[in-house]
Amino acid sequence: MGLNNLRGRVAWIFKDENFDVDQIVGVKNIKIKDPAELGKLVLQAEDREFAQSVKPGDLLIGNHNFGYGHPHYPPMIGMRYLGISGVLAESFSPGYWRGEVAMGFPQVTCPGILQVVSRWDEIEVDWGTNKFRNLTTGVNLPIEPLSNGDSQMLEAGGLVGYLHARDNEEAVK
Amino acid sequence: MGYTIAEKILARVSEKETVCAGDEVLAKPDFVIAYDFPGYTDVIFKQMEEDFGIDKVAEPDRYALFIDHMVPATTTQEEEMHQLTRDWGAKNNVPVYERMGIGHQVAAELGYATPGAFVVHFDGHISQLGTFGALAIGVRRHLLEAFVKERIKFKVPETTRIDLTGTLQLGVTARDVFHHIVRVLGPRGCRGHVLELGGDTIDNMSLEGRQSITCLAMFTGAITAVINPDKKALAYIKDRARIVIDPLFSDSDAKYASRHEIDVSALEPIVVVPPSPADTRDISEVAGTEVHVGYLGSCASGRVEDLELAADVLEGHKVKAGFQLNVIPTSQEIMKIAAEKGIITRLINAGAFISSSSCDYCFGRIGVMRAGQRAVSTGTLNVRGRMGSPDSEIYIVNAAAVAAAAIEGRITDPRPYLKR
Repeated sequence: MGLNNLRGRVAWIFKDENFDVDQIVGVKNIKIKDPAELGKLVLQAEDREFAQSVKPGDLLIGNHNFGYGHPHYPPMIGMRYLGISGVLAESFSPGYWRGEVAMGFPQVTCPGILQVVSRWDEIEVDWGTNKFRNLTTGVNLPIEPLSNGDSQMLEAGGLVGYLHARDNEEAVK
Repeated sequence: MGYTIAEKILARVSEKETVCAGDEVLAKPDFVIAYDFPGYTDVIFKQMEEDFGIDKVAEPDRYALFIDHMVPATTTQEEEMHQLTRDWGAKNNVPVYERMGIGHQVAAELGYATPGAFVVHFDGHISQLGTFGALAIGVRRHLLEAFVKERIKFKVPETTRIDLTGTLQLGVTARDVFHHIVRVLGPRGCRGHVLELGGDTIDNMSLEGRQSITCLAMFTGAITAVINPDKKALAYIKDRARIVIDPLFSDSDAKYASRHEIDVSALEPIVVVPPSPADTRDISEVAGTEVHVGYLGSCASGRVEDLELAADVLEGHKVKAGFQLNVIPTSQEIMKIAAEKGIITRLINAGAFISSSSCDYCFGRIGVMRAGQRAVSTGTLNVRGRMGSPDSEIYIVNAAAVAAAAIEGRITDPRPYLKR
């Protein structure tokens, strides 16, 4: 069993380096826990139609050091509620990465990505070949392979599933 | 081929002869530390039982819990949260330390910062135990792994080495050195790496100053910071260390991702301008900005030398009418030393408001600002809404600059106040 490839449209491009994800819902909403409510709030300051225009499978694009600052979980809980299936970025802030991978939310490091995508392009991440493909333009780029630990965690749907998988693995040994 | 201290610590705790950056290991943390906080400890305790059927941790001495946020409690829910933590600790024979100060500092005081130890927490500011030659890493929700498994899967990080040289001017502190490192390397200069610090500036720096720098490692993108333990660090930990480990040190031919030498002798006090922890300016660029609140404290600053420096600046002056200067020593031990040295009295005489140690000022649980207010702060972070209204602002400065701003009601260079 391997990771399912990601395929969807580019729902949003975060152009800023060191992007603080809390801005996605706004600091004043950062304590909200309800996924449906968060889903309505994401990117409202930038695009009031965002929630209506996203389809399940769609992906987000980020610049370097995506998730820098003091990231909280609610923004991406809202994004996942809308069906966003992962984030591709030039690079990620380690704390953000660790937190979202623990939630089972795929994060893909893809140097050069920002230059080769436009909003609503159809794109794909192939974990088997570690390739990014822009299906709209035909451009391909290599992605950075996941560590075994991260790969297993995403495959298991997050931290709890991963630890259960390790229970089984250790029981077999 | 040589190894870094981080590689040596991870080799030790994964029971391997050697490991190199990039290897994935199963590492057994020497200490697993957390403070009680909704969404973290309560969730971990629940998941342990409900998802994994574990009602007790196997080796309670490896665990430590701190109650340092929401202290003192202001709602019944907060006190219930604390009680949950106390009950869990009692059931598990895991120590729960409360009302002693900010856990990251108290952990050092209590000997969890053993040189050569591998320590995990969910909070990244635990990196400051690196001051004592421990490798201490904030792993966010992955901390659950350390509660339900003996070992955690961990990728050995690369190390970026920074050597700091030169003597700091009076009124320029370790805080400024850290923010200068961010300015030089950028907010992703050490992304995913261990930040290893050395050089004559570090050698001559107090442990308190080193704690300020290692505490904030995350804002360079690093996962932690570490300093090879020297006489000062080993002397501090000697009678405190909870376990016996031979201290580990980087080899002279260790392999680093990159090495940098940074001269700090000409450094002036720095201001980190809101809302980014990476927007670093010389104080001369923002001097004159009106400010209304001063916060001197946090796990990054608020130690004896910070308090003393602020008292020196305030000597013969008063906090400006209407300005709120909140001084919160980082731990009760620090409060006690500052009291014995007369520093607390000097601060009170100048008009400072002193509170017992707590994390709560730093993240806007108490002492909050309304829209339009601006703070000078030695807290860890200046993102929007951190200390109250999303429309308030936080300017991060050193302890001396907090005190100088308290006198004038505006951001100002503290150095003239120290020349007598």
